[in-house]
Amino acid sequence: MTAIKTKAGLYRIVVIHYLVAALCFFSLPVMMLFSLKAFTGHYFHPQILAITHMAALGWGTMIILGASYQLIPVVLETELFSRKLAWVSFSLFLPGLIALVYSFWVFVPGIHMQCGAALLLVAIILFTINVYLTANKKKQQSIHEDFIFSACLCLCFTAALGTALVFNFTISIFSQDQLHFLKIHAHLGVVGWFLLMIIGVSSKLVPMFLVSSYQKTKLLSFSYYLIVSALLLFLVDSYFSGINYRTYLIALLGVAGVFCYLLFIFKCLKSRMRKKIDVPMMSTFLSFILLKIAIIIIPFIIYYHLKNNPVSIRYSLIYGVLLFMGWITALILGQTFKTLPFIVWVKHYEHLTGKVKTPMPADLFNNSLLKIQSLGFIIFCITFIPGCFFMSQPLLYTGISALIVTAAMYLANVFIMLFHKTKTYGKL
Amino acid sequence: MENFDITDNLSFMKIEILETLRLVMDPELHINIIDLGLVYGVKIDEPNKQINIEMTLSSSYCPMGESILSAVKNCVESHYADYKANVELVWEPVWSYHSITDEGKRLLGI
Repeated sequence: MTAIKTKAGLYRIVVIHYLVAALCFFSLPVMMLFSLKAFTGHYFHPQILAITHMAALGWGTMIILGASYQLIPVVLETELFSRKLAWVSFSLFLPGLIALVYSFWVFVPGIHMQCGAALLLVAIILFTINVYLTANKKKQQSIHEDFIFSACLCLCFTAALGTALVFNFTISIFSQDQLHFLKIHAHLGVVGWFLLMIIGVSSKLVPMFLVSSYQKTKLLSFSYYLIVSALLLFLVDSYFSGINYRTYLIALLGVAGVFCYLLFIFKCLKSRMRKKIDVPMMSTFLSFILLKIAIIIIPFIIYYHLKNNPVSIRYSLIYGVLLFMGWITALILGQTFKTLPFIVWVKHYEHLTGKVKTPMPADLFNNSLLKIQSLGFIIFCITFIPGCFFMSQPLLYTGISALIVTAAMYLANVFIMLFHKTKTYGKL
Repeated sequence: MENFDITDNLSFMKIEILETLRLVMDPELHINIIDLGLVYGVKIDEPNKQINIEMTLSSSYCPMGESILSAVKNCVESHYADYKANVELVWEPVWSYHSITDEGKRLLGI
């Protein structure tokens, strides 16, 4: 038998990431509840910074790191280089995250913030080394590998620039103002890390979950080169000239890359053998819609920015909410129920399968809780995002309440899966 | 897929094994591996009491691959206690949509 084996010890490192991410996700609406006014002002606000980093690192990145230890060996068709390195990375990442988010929240840019940023940077570098050495074990290169490794490099650069920005609060490192570099830091993270990583992994997983017959990777190659070119051009151009008329063209290049990826997903969807789309896959498709809405906002941000109109700040805030709380959150809310049940199922039932009747992976979570979670998330999207735009407190409160319900249901289902007890239904 | 050969003494047993393997389900698709067309052949080595199953997976990076293969081995050995099962994973011919049986297509809603 020569299928890819999952090492038993991998289970703990993977699930600890899912558990911490679920707790961080639950903390997000609570933090938002105590900083409602911040959502009606400028995005460069201590509490918005704390929430953004909790969403980007504690929620989005934490779950991607955990899932990566399980999925990267699958996507790259090889075993993970080192589990010890994964544990060291996690042990540095968690205290780093707590220190950074807390010091942003109270806004004391001193030793705690600096140590937090430095710990996160080291943790991220160790993760990247682990991915690089895992990929190095494989002889053949694929476009998926290019996406994944480029994403890891971008995460390192994002963390390095973020650390420099933290130090810049107390020691003058940069001649330009903090906001100038914040754009570069944010886009390196959103486009370089999240977008490239999500495309790299999902372009293998979505066809597999849909049982799609579409196998061509040409669109993915176009997507990779367009997105990476757009990102590099944006970094260089905005460093020297800030936002200008060329930014429209650069954005267009990046959008063309995202379009190629979405076209690939559409082709997989059209050629799928599995006709029934389940709730987790619906949530995944909702995430693509939210990504498209975020992309539509980009020209408005550039336009109002060039006109020096303060409305650009409002659009930028909505853009950020759509990316972190919309696209990334919807994707994780769906894909958790496509990955975690399988990880738990393999641990409990792999040795029993074929001998006795066992539950299926989809039986390991509560489907009713998942439906309430999905409904809560849709209510959050249709109330909170317009609430940010119109600065309407009732809409913002409704959105946050719906997000609390979403996070509570999600957390409950994660607990149900992680504390699952093995059960069988008699001999086959 | 196996054909029934009336001159082969073991044909009936081979068909029985294939029917037994309908108990092994793909954990994601909830369809048995026979209707998915994953099993390519069954060979019985009667003197050595060994059953050889030749099969494939729908994708070489299937995270459940190892589970499906061990399910096949467990299933055969638990139903044919006197025999040892050997599962050989092959990638040729490549599994495709055409490998799914009519019943499998019906279950998938195609």
